[in-house]
Amino acid sequence: MTSERIRRFETEQLTLHVLAATVAFLIVLPVVIAALVSTKRAGIVTSIGDLAPGGHALSNYRRALIGLEFWRYMLNSFVMSVAVVVGKLIVSLLAALVIVYYRFPYKNAVFLFILFTLLLPVPVRFVPLYRLTTELGMGNTIFAITVPYLASATTVFILRQHFLSIPASLVETAKVDGVGPLRFLWSVLVPMSRAVLVGVSVIMFVYTWNQYLWPLVIINAESLQVAQVGLNLLRGQASTGEVAWSMVMTGSILTLLPPLALLVLFRRQLLETFTIQQK
Amino acid sequence: MSTHEVFTDRLQAGVLLLPTMVVSLLFLYYPTVRAIGLSFYQASLARGDVFVGLENYRRLAGSTEYLRSVLLSVLFATCVVVGVMAVALCVSFLIHEIEVGKGLYLVAVIWPYALPPAVAGLVFLFIAHPNIGIFTSYIEALGIDVNWFSNGPQAFVVVLIAAVWKQIGYNVIFMTAALGNVPESLTETAELDGVSRTQRLLRVYVPIISPTLVFLVIMNTIYGFFGTFAMVDLMTKGGPAGATNILIYDLYRTAFQFYEFGFASAKSVVLFVAVGLLMYGQFRLSDRYAYYGG
Repeated sequence: MTSERIRRFETEQLTLHVLAATVAFLIVLPVVIAALVSTKRAGIVTSIGDLAPGGHALSNYRRALIGLEFWRYMLNSFVMSVAVVVGKLIVSLLAALVIVYYRFPYKNAVFLFILFTLLLPVPVRFVPLYRLTTELGMGNTIFAITVPYLASATTVFILRQHFLSIPASLVETAKVDGVGPLRFLWSVLVPMSRAVLVGVSVIMFVYTWNQYLWPLVIINAESLQVAQVGLNLLRGQASTGEVAWSMVMTGSILTLLPPLALLVLFRRQLLETFTIQQK
Repeated sequence: MSTHEVFTDRLQAGVLLLPTMVVSLLFLYYPTVRAIGLSFYQASLARGDVFVGLENYRRLAGSTEYLRSVLLSVLFATCVVVGVMAVALCVSFLIHEIEVGKGLYLVAVIWPYALPPAVAGLVFLFIAHPNIGIFTSYIEALGIDVNWFSNGPQAFVVVLIAAVWKQIGYNVIFMTAALGNVPESLTETAELDGVSRTQRLLRVYVPIISPTLVFLVIMNTIYGFFGTFAMVDLMTKGGPAGATNILIYDLYRTAFQFYEFGFASAKSVVLFVAVGLLMYGQFRLSDRYAYYGG
């Protein structure tokens, strides 16, 4: 490259960096504002000059978690999300194991039966599901916000795609050694699928943690409610002036942190898993 | 594929499949069938169910309020899809073109994937609040009276911006992956031919990543219809005067504010058919237009 071409390349790259930094700043900005407001007493910011961080971070987060009992909503969200992630992972691993490694009649029909549930997201069935869970005596329990989530077409599909990409020769070896299916799953498939298992776990956690509609309708005891709906209660209190807006932003940041931390920590595995999903 | 099939015990297969099958049947298929059944009844929690035949559907077909909600949802979802994909495509292309330090920008733009819709709604409610919003005074200085608590079109736009913001991350994840798979040789050829950057994006990259784009259109449409429920509930409650009363919010109110479960079931069935048509559309589209080379 001539020096002139190098210079042109460098100016272009500089422009791209400036543009990308601006876009990234704009996308992060609303949450930065929320975080700054969560450090202030009243939380009324009507101009950019009001944005200087306040000294009430500690007392705000303590008040939200303990005084307003947000810890309870967070804990319920954790229990719900962890239960769904673990349960879904086990259930889906077993299903994917059968779909890839067993020979049995009507296999395609079974796979279609699972895939077809993609057409049945919570919003199209929450009304009858509400009736069903209430009749089963599961309304207002942790079971109501975990068990209906345990079957997952997406997770089974991702695991199936991944298993199919594992060379068959490796599997043959296990077969020759006469290993049983669960042993095979645990000591051959799981170790070879670590990144994908982490990836789908993050996807499932984010999905479950962010659920709003179903907990809103099926849980009416405040002590069992999840963080997302807890925010709704905070919003109501802010609108009537019972709590400051800085409390609402404190609750929002608390609710954002767990899924955000997982995304940042496991972004490599997450991106890898998404690539599989799309195939 | 058949070489993978090393186990043949059918009983074992059945037992291992059982959890997925039972949960799917009980909590996914059965409620759907039940929604269809319930849609022919007048059903509420207090009174018993009364069979009314097609009455609920007749009511739906004749309701201008429902028709308005349908059109509103279609408009909203269309704006979400177009808005999100235009922004995400530009952002993904920008990051793709950067040689050094992509990683940091990528994290800074994909994180809204983890953002709870409820948080997105509350943060926007706060920063765009007609009285205390941080940006309100600046926008009013431009001559726009910020009053989206009573102005329908404004409310629609504010919820739309929050919805687009939350969905950018998900789109960038798939788009950067797709752009990363474009063969290097194609980019080099285009550069040698003196094709400009924008032309390269629109004429070379977009056709190649079209399978990803088709997939995203469907995912974003479903998100536009359903995923924005929390934002509507927290920001506008469907108002003002029904300006943000999208189908899913309308359905929620029918069931859990007016307790008309039969009527709500009929609305659920309509949504189910809509999702089915969308997925079928994706299937056909990706068969027809998508590029499968390379």
